[in-house]
Amino acid sequence: MTKKTKQLLYLLAFLFPLAVIAQVPISGVVVDVRNNPLSGVSVRVRNTNTGTTTDATGRFALSAPDKTGTLEFSNVGFKTQAISLNDATDNISITLNEDVGKLDEVVVTGMASSIKRSNSANAVASVSSKLLTGTTVQPTMDAALYGKFTGSNISANSGAPGGGISVKLRGITSLVANSQPLFIVDGVYYDNSSIVPGLNLVSKAAGQGNTNFQDNQSNRIADLDPEDIDRIEILKGASAAAIYGSRAAAGVVIITTKRGKTGKPNIEVSTAIGTQWQLKKLGQREWTEAKVQSAYGNTGVPLYRAANGRTYDYEKELYGQTALMRNARLSVSGGNEQTKYFIGFTSKDDEGIVKRTGYEKTSFRLNLDQKVTSFIDASVNANYVSSTADRGFFNNDNTSTTLGVAYVATPSWINLFPDANGNYPDNPLAPSNFLQTRDLITNREKVERILLGGTATWKILNIGKHDLRFIARGGLDQYTLNTIGIFPRELQFQKNGNGTNGASIYGTTLSKGTNFNGFLVHTFDVSNNLNLRTQVGVTAENLDQDNVINSATQLIGTQTNLGQAGAIQVAETKTVQHDRGFVVQEELNYRDMLLLTLGVRGDKSSRNGDADKLYYYPKGSIAFNINKLGSWNSSVISLLKVRAAYGQSGNFAPFGAIYSPLVPTVFNGSTGSLITLTRGKNTLNPERQTELEFGFDAGLFNDRITLEATYYKKDVEDLILNVAVPTSSGFSLAWNNVAAIENRGIELALNATIIQSKNLRWTQTTNFWKNKAKVTRLDVPAFNTGGFGATLGTYRVEQGKSPTQIVGIGVAADKVDPATGLATYGNGEPDFNLSAYHDIIYKNFEFSFLLHWKKGGDNINLTTLLSDIFGTSRDFDSKSLDPAGQKINGDYRLAALGSTARPWVEDASYFRVREMGLSYRMPRSWFRNIAGVKVGVSARNLINVFKYSSYDPEVSNFGSNAISSSVEVTPFPSAKSVHFNLSVNF
Amino acid sequence: MNIQLQTYIKVAAIAMPLFLLSACKVEPILDPNNPDATGIVVNASLSELQNLADGSESGMRESLGAYYDDLCVIGREYYRFSTSDPRFTSDLLGKSSAVLDNNTFYLTNPFAARYRVIRNTNILIDALTSTKAPITDLQRKAGIAYAKTIQAYQLLSVFNLLYNNGVRVDVKDPDKLGPFLNLQQSLDAIIGLLNEANTDLKGNTADLPFTTTLYARNAAQFSKFNRALSARVAIYKQDWTAANAALTDSFLDLNGDLTTGVFHLFSAAGGDQLNPLFYPRNSSGETRVAHPSFVTDAEVGDKRLSKVTLRTSAAFQDALQSNYDFYLYKTNVDPIPIVRNEELVLILAEVKAQLGVTADAVTAINTIRKAAGLTDYAGATDKNSLITEILKQRRYSLFGEGHRWIDLRRYNLLSQLPIDRPDDNVWMQFPIPANE
Repeated sequence: MTKKTKQLLYLLAFLFPLAVIAQVPISGVVVDVRNNPLSGVSVRVRNTNTGTTTDATGRFALSAPDKTGTLEFSNVGFKTQAISLNDATDNISITLNEDVGKLDEVVVTGMASSIKRSNSANAVASVSSKLLTGTTVQPTMDAALYGKFTGSNISANSGAPGGGISVKLRGITSLVANSQPLFIVDGVYYDNSSIVPGLNLVSKAAGQGNTNFQDNQSNRIADLDPEDIDRIEILKGASAAAIYGSRAAAGVVIITTKRGKTGKPNIEVSTAIGTQWQLKKLGQREWTEAKVQSAYGNTGVPLYRAANGRTYDYEKELYGQTALMRNARLSVSGGNEQTKYFIGFTSKDDEGIVKRTGYEKTSFRLNLDQKVTSFIDASVNANYVSSTADRGFFNNDNTSTTLGVAYVATPSWINLFPDANGNYPDNPLAPSNFLQTRDLITNREKVERILLGGTATWKILNIGKHDLRFIARGGLDQYTLNTIGIFPRELQFQKNGNGTNGASIYGTTLSKGTNFNGFLVHTFDVSNNLNLRTQVGVTAENLDQDNVINSATQLIGTQTNLGQAGAIQVAETKTVQHDRGFVVQEELNYRDMLLLTLGVRGDKSSRNGDADKLYYYPKGSIAFNINKLGSWNSSVISLLKVRAAYGQSGNFAPFGAIYSPLVPTVFNGSTGSLITLTRGKNTLNPERQTELEFGFDAGLFNDRITLEATYYKKDVEDLILNVAVPTSSGFSLAWNNVAAIENRGIELALNATIIQSKNLRWTQTTNFWKNKAKVTRLDVPAFNTGGFGATLGTYRVEQGKSPTQIVGIGVAADKVDPATGLATYGNGEPDFNLSAYHDIIYKNFEFSFLLHWKKGGDNINLTTLLSDIFGTSRDFDSKSLDPAGQKINGDYRLAALGSTARPWVEDASYFRVREMGLSYRMPRSWFRNIAGVKVGVSARNLINVFKYSSYDPEVSNFGSNAISSSVEVTPFPSAKSVHFNLSVNF
Repeated sequence: MNIQLQTYIKVAAIAMPLFLLSACKVEPILDPNNPDATGIVVNASLSELQNLADGSESGMRESLGAYYDDLCVIGREYYRFSTSDPRFTSDLLGKSSAVLDNNTFYLTNPFAARYRVIRNTNILIDALTSTKAPITDLQRKAGIAYAKTIQAYQLLSVFNLLYNNGVRVDVKDPDKLGPFLNLQQSLDAIIGLLNEANTDLKGNTADLPFTTTLYARNAAQFSKFNRALSARVAIYKQDWTAANAALTDSFLDLNGDLTTGVFHLFSAAGGDQLNPLFYPRNSSGETRVAHPSFVTDAEVGDKRLSKVTLRTSAAFQDALQSNYDFYLYKTNVDPIPIVRNEELVLILAEVKAQLGVTADAVTAINTIRKAAGLTDYAGATDKNSLITEILKQRRYSLFGEGHRWIDLRRYNLLSQLPIDRPDDNVWMQFPIPANE
């Protein structure tokens, strides 16, 4: 064959993909080690399109072209097994071993390719659906992740229903820009905005002390139904995430949802009923008249006397609702060779521990896979979610109106209960009656979200040693978020000139994100030993968000319509972004022994000063499986791989940082334009992260024990800050690239099958991770940020120090730095995290639990401060703090106010049993083999051990802020929950 | 290398550039939330020019509270009592070891606010230079001269605070700020800017290409405001001849209403600003009270004592006391003067006294005294006596308008200011802000 004719053949093959005629029939059954049939196992002739999956009884049948080649059996969670076709018969029996070390699991290496974990050069973390939702019911998607993989610092912002979580992967990656990872669901960029509902109008929390909003809003990843998820892969740093380029500096979380498999319909119905209650009660102070006199002076004493010894358990009243939680789930999946489908439906209704709070969600998903022709596969994913979260009114304020602040401001002998006619008394000692507030206000987030994604794969060429495919993907993520804040005018803090005679704050956010990409993937088996894979692709992402908040005040009567108001303010914020990029990547696989990857992504974005400038993010990695060396011969060590990976990724400046806008000003009955105080910089570079990761993976005793050990060094350069400039420029601040941070850390993951026998199987995964961050460059003077100033403890960004160090004013004993007048009291970053997941199956019983120990990491706890100021702390009268044994705790802490910040910086270490579940799978024979029925009981956060003096060390007044994400100011307390589960499988 | 590998490389070589070429161009997106300063200077519409002018005049009012507090507290015209901030009575009055800080709001806020207006007027100048809106060349020139006049006034305000430390005049390029000039250079630069503007204003019959609340829209009329400022700066420079000339072209009117002038306007409309110098009478906590010497030093029958009112109870703070509220502004929307005819008459008196035209000086003094309900001036008419009398009249006529400290400073008489507490100091000037 001449070269020319060969090329012609390729060209023809582009147009007319070849069909292969089947010849050899093969059939059999696939079982696990306990001889249970395995359904949904993929059975495939290696490197061909010939394949099928097993049915509910574990059986399969297919026809192979001839008797040469290898037949592969693979299933999620099991080690892939291969047999020579020459040995295959029409009734073979295959036993699959569980893949405890997850070595056969597929992990992503590019936007259009993946690789077996045993060949991966990165420590890509993954969370299976079993680990995600198998133990207990998850309130939201974000809440399902803690403690389940290494290298993350995940923290709930509060216990409010509807989510709100901060996820940081491998340390601090930004100071003021986005610090949350990019979420991608089935190839669709999933918006995870955290949108402020505008409650600041009432709380006035932003202003004195700290200008950030503290509205305790959720973030939008909460909209995703965790039950739909098949697996999650977490690309923690640039070495793995470089291929996602300019949006990937905070890491990428790749979520794959469940899909149908060939076979008869699999119907699963499950329901869970549960309850939750306050995780830790703080208790209330015991009072005497003398204490009242000292705390409230002459105004308090008559009120105390009038109460005549009667007190109220307000902690129980406010946080003690017996909260009912209900979860119902239906999924149907199945399909044939041409069409596969998955339908998932979830209805959830969780009450919060505070009356009139809760979270309701309905989610519907349809995933379809269709073979359009013999050479084109298509899949479509559609998800509709409707959710409502009533989140109460918590966190910091400057008006004593939030439930949290008003609660700590009220002693137990004040009666706040309504009279027989439903009229609430005014709180004589605080500006608001929190029972009235709880019963009358609304703080609701309502979301309607549609997610559509589609993928088409065109197998252009599959001839000889070449396989060429074109993969096109598109996605749409669109939602409407309504935030509804209603503060009726009869509230104590709204009436009689105390407020604005009611406030109705109505926010609407329309968000639309689209993304498209197209990839050519060429696989070339140069020889039996050498395989090359090339991919080139183009990407496009667009985001268009419009947030409008209407704040109506001077309300008419009980009306909440925006028109029924005497004054109305409107604020609108638009975000528009267009990104375009390309990807080129080359992978080399030599005998599964040496694996090399080189790639680069180029990105343009309208978020950059020069929208059309390409920024390049390169990557490269190498993995070497020592055990594949011909000379390797160890019966103990079944796997030994060394690996190294390098990559870069970017992060945009906060939206608007490239603009120097003219801001509106009202003057003389007209409006003027005045230059803004903050100068934009149109030559701003994106923040750039460079990560080098290396480590080794080892497997012992046929991979019954595996260890994954990783060390990384991650440098984030060109960090963006809003820095003070000479004001004679006309500006006070200007955006600039001025800082750099270095993160170093280690991650260890140990998987082991502890016991494996016919009746008992006990597996475990232990994760250990630790990160140390340091500011390595700071072109501006060190500055305090987050928190509420040095008096109460604040974060301080300072060269050579951790970016999350907590400093404050202090006395000589605190070792104050004479130059700054500040002492160091702690660090928001934990010393280390250790988590362990155990799964024990005995006959039909399954018991699993997840332990999580976070050692170190400090919080700034201002709930205690406020409780002391108002004299309501439970331990106010104890004498456990003063080393001199003189002052009671409350007085001791208050005496420190203004001289040292030490009392408010607390160790936030904790040990938790995050999840625990026990289930029993009833024998199918009880139901005439029609249905599989599983019953169980499960719990979240049932056991918690911490010294931290407030509700929960996991808390954030400022939401998912990059640095100040461990400040507490009277949050919605967190809860523990128990569920009873029943699932039926047809 | 085998044939397949060659083909492989060829396919890759063809596919890659194809893909890379199709990576589309990304168009820049203009700020979706605000007008963009870089866009407006390319082709501003008439209404955008108006917005810039309004924005500048609005910006001129920013931080006036702190500015006048600086001038009047150091000039011992009134005390600024504040429960939330002790620095008005410590730093500004030089209490014991307290000094004027180079990074505190009383300096940084007014300083930044003035330069912000200069930035805004520079944008206006750029917009006027390039606009294709239907304006005549004379209008374009008048508009630019208007912007320069405002810039000169803003620089003068900074100069009043920093004095010997000078001002930074060249701030056109925020990345390449010019140096701080010394006192004389600063004054010359301000005068130069005013004269430059006046060249295009004087005799220019065109209207400004936008409306203004500053004196008049007609360029030739607006020139009178420019000249009034020029006369003030000239006497700071002790250039009496130039001051005399400027007065002639200003809106000085010996027989006219002394309150005629140019003002910062305020209103209670939503989003607009209120007069920051207004506090209701008998306020406690946050208040301004007259320095007691203002009442005790006054001549009997001086109507200008109506600028203060007797409090129902004395105000105390930080070992300072006053029975009188500072009550120059009767409502929270009263305008704050930039320059008034009364000041021009006093400048005339000073200029004539300095030039030895005694009769004219006395006439001007008497115009002021008469308006204040006082008898004609009967003191000595030598230069020093006249200047003493003029400074006294300035103290009462321009009370609370920020002149006292500046007047005594330029005549090297700061030692005459009353010291209320034994360790108090009188400052000569503010330091250069830390961020500079």
